[in-house]
Amino acid sequence: MLSIRDYIRLYFIIEAQYIKARMQYRADFIISSIGMFFTSLASLGVFWILFTSIPDLAGWTFMEMVFIYAFYMVAISPMQILFDQTWYLRYAVQQGTFIKYYFRPLNMMFYFMSERFDIKGLVQLVAGIILLVYSSVQLGIVWEPIKLVLLLVSLFGASLVLIAITVSAGCAAFWITNAFPVLGLAWKLREFSPYPMTIFDGAFRFVFTFILPIGFIAFYPSQMFLRPEQIDPLVYLSPLVGILSFALAYWIWTKGVNSYGGTGS
Amino acid sequence: MSLIHIENLNKHFKILNRHPGLGGAIRDLFSNDFRFVKAVDGISFDIAPGEIVGYIGPNGAGKSTTIKMMTGILKPTSGVIQVNGQSPYDNRVRQAQIMGVVFGQRTQLWWDLPVIESFKILKEIYRVDQKTFDEHMALFDELVDLGKLYGQQVRTLSLGQRMLCDITASFLHNPQIVFLDEPTIGLDVSIKAKIRTVIKELNQARKTTIILTTHDLGDVEALCQRIIIIDKGKILYDGGIKKVNALFGAYRTLKLQIDGFDESTLRALEEKLGAHFGPENGVSLSEVEDHWTDITIDQARTPLADVLSFVMGNFPVSDVRIVEISMEKVVRKVYDGALG
Amino acid sequence: MRGYLALLRGAFMIGLIYRFGFLFIIIGNVIYMGVAYYLWHSIYDKTETINGLTFNETFIYVTLGSTVFILLKTYADWIISHEIEDGSIAVYLTKPIDYQFYALSISLGSMLTNAVAISVPTVLLLVFVFKVTFVFGPGLLIFPISILLAFLISYCFDYFTGLIMFYTESIWGVSVTKEIMITVFSGALIPLQFFPEAVQRVLLLLPFQAIYHTPLMLITRPNQDWGTLLSMVGVQAFWVVVMFVATRLFYNQAIKVLRVAGG
Repeated sequence: MLSIRDYIRLYFIIEAQYIKARMQYRADFIISSIGMFFTSLASLGVFWILFTSIPDLAGWTFMEMVFIYAFYMVAISPMQILFDQTWYLRYAVQQGTFIKYYFRPLNMMFYFMSERFDIKGLVQLVAGIILLVYSSVQLGIVWEPIKLVLLLVSLFGASLVLIAITVSAGCAAFWITNAFPVLGLAWKLREFSPYPMTIFDGAFRFVFTFILPIGFIAFYPSQMFLRPEQIDPLVYLSPLVGILSFALAYWIWTKGVNSYGGTGS
Repeated sequence: MSLIHIENLNKHFKILNRHPGLGGAIRDLFSNDFRFVKAVDGISFDIAPGEIVGYIGPNGAGKSTTIKMMTGILKPTSGVIQVNGQSPYDNRVRQAQIMGVVFGQRTQLWWDLPVIESFKILKEIYRVDQKTFDEHMALFDELVDLGKLYGQQVRTLSLGQRMLCDITASFLHNPQIVFLDEPTIGLDVSIKAKIRTVIKELNQARKTTIILTTHDLGDVEALCQRIIIIDKGKILYDGGIKKVNALFGAYRTLKLQIDGFDESTLRALEEKLGAHFGPENGVSLSEVEDHWTDITIDQARTPLADVLSFVMGNFPVSDVRIVEISMEKVVRKVYDGALG
Repeated sequence: MRGYLALLRGAFMIGLIYRFGFLFIIIGNVIYMGVAYYLWHSIYDKTETINGLTFNETFIYVTLGSTVFILLKTYADWIISHEIEDGSIAVYLTKPIDYQFYALSISLGSMLTNAVAISVPTVLLLVFVFKVTFVFGPGLLIFPISILLAFLISYCFDYFTGLIMFYTESIWGVSVTKEIMITVFSGALIPLQFFPEAVQRVLLLLPFQAIYHTPLMLITRPNQDWGTLLSMVGVQAFWVVVMFVATRLFYNQAIKVLRVAGG
């Protein structure tokens, strides 16, 4: 049985080899990186265009939106880089190749996800970090050590929420034939997460806070740094929401793995 | 204490009876119309360490289902299954440490990486110490010249080379049991020989128990000391290879193309064969398909050459093919009591 | 011709079978409409019109934009690049049908399924739940033709992208760049009127706007005079021809390369 340290070490070994192999496809690497750069900033670009016509959105200035968006970009990076294999689950399940993951003395989610490391996601991560620094300078946010710790913890929790939503959506492949649209839905939800939750009320606000908690991917955690005087105590729950969501997603994965007997006799 | 102990094992599947058409599809969503399929129906056997067991049967017999229960993927519906004294389903990770699995044509190695890197990763996963690792790699190289392939990416290997790599990889961590599912399917004769050699050598060198599922009787003859035949979820035969070997080896199918073949020719053929060779001669006329007439011959009772010359002497034969008996026919014969 | 119709019908039926998938597409679209509603409601909180558009107009534009986006999704780029990559395209090249039309029939079939299953509930929701008022006018009559033309342009784009994907061996990167270019520059995400003046003028000259902007404007402002309406559609038709010819040329080139290289 492997310990956590063993798993981390194993992960490095596998991904080092994987990256080496992928680097052979240079054209793809460059084009993908460029594509990633533009995609990740496209939504921000749309906001920028929007803000040429309006002074603020539900009380949020453009620079505050940039901060929230940058937080979003960093928070979604672990999902993008480490869990990208989720998008290929339906193929492995349908073609029967998924069965190979049962045979090794490894945690199956670890083994499955380790098969893909999305290098271009690093572009998004770096761009996000740069924007985060830039916007916090522009907004005059002072980063004392305690705030930095808070930032890291909230980013961690936030990333877990997106991972949980996407992986759960991917698990639909265990039960449904044409499971892609479920992931499509997860993707849409991801796109909505940099929006300020204050524009919502009623059912939508409730759903996005407690049921499909995309609010915790960027908006709520950002509050701690943007409007520290005004925040809802709810906001401090961010890491907890992340951990609980991931636990739920892992439970769904386990159920899927157990129900999948493979094809054939 | 046997390594694998299976007693009265059952696995039932609940299958929805689907209805055709769009309306049917909607009804299915709310349907309670199920049927039970007994994939594995009360089987029992014990396997001791070091055995090479052929686990054979036609498609749909329940082979894969049994293997999946032995490897901890499927939970049995009822009955006892113990591998190395433990229930496989209750701790998949622990059990995986003592097993190696190779299944058919899908490789378990890392597709884009050089062969040696896959082996190194496996070393980490199974926590193989350096000494054992080096010993095994040297052994694999000695047995099948594996060293030549080390630097090549798995995706560039031919099917035969990939199988060799997968099979040797499954022995790397010194497992107690190795499951090989169709290891020689689709391969040419020379590679098949190589693969059979490496399996046999590794079994002898490491005393690894091997469970082999295959449709290839050549595999069975070359490797197995013991055969378990399963059909429709039940065990038909569990015993030594010799008895079954006689069954395989002795039977040949003579396929003939006879000019102007029709109903009357068929009857004439039957009569004449019966008359010439006598009853209980082990010569039987089977399907007629596409102008080919099949005559199945038990060579223990009637030599094939005699039948062939007789038919050719009495009927206008334009083409001849001689085939070994198929797995399906063997199982049919066992089912009909050929092994008594 | 009958061959293509059979393929179309086949694709339509397959679409219907994937009923769960549809459910989620519809749910996704509904959620999008809700989010868009709140977002634009917030934006229009203090003003009546922005850049010449009212909330009603912008909202219809944006929500129908997302529906149209789903409608026009052809996946032709992925299909083509995969078929070229694994060589299955060779099968089609030996059959007596034109490959481009074959691929088009399949896509058109799925489009029809999507059209029925997705846009009908969307419109119903818009009218009864969001209480959006639709303006009527001659533009609505031309709308179906406009959508068809838009589909053809979009299809050609995807096809073209598929061929590029084959050349560069880069699947995701090219596909996504194309998506971005189309969605942003065509006005699908945000009406073109919101862009700075100079940028607007450039964008109106490009084929992207013929995919989304034109049909969406026909719905939001169907009251314009026939001259304007017909010229909008005329521009679309122009782009269909251009894209089709460009794709054809590229396709012939690619097949030549493929045949030489042995696939």
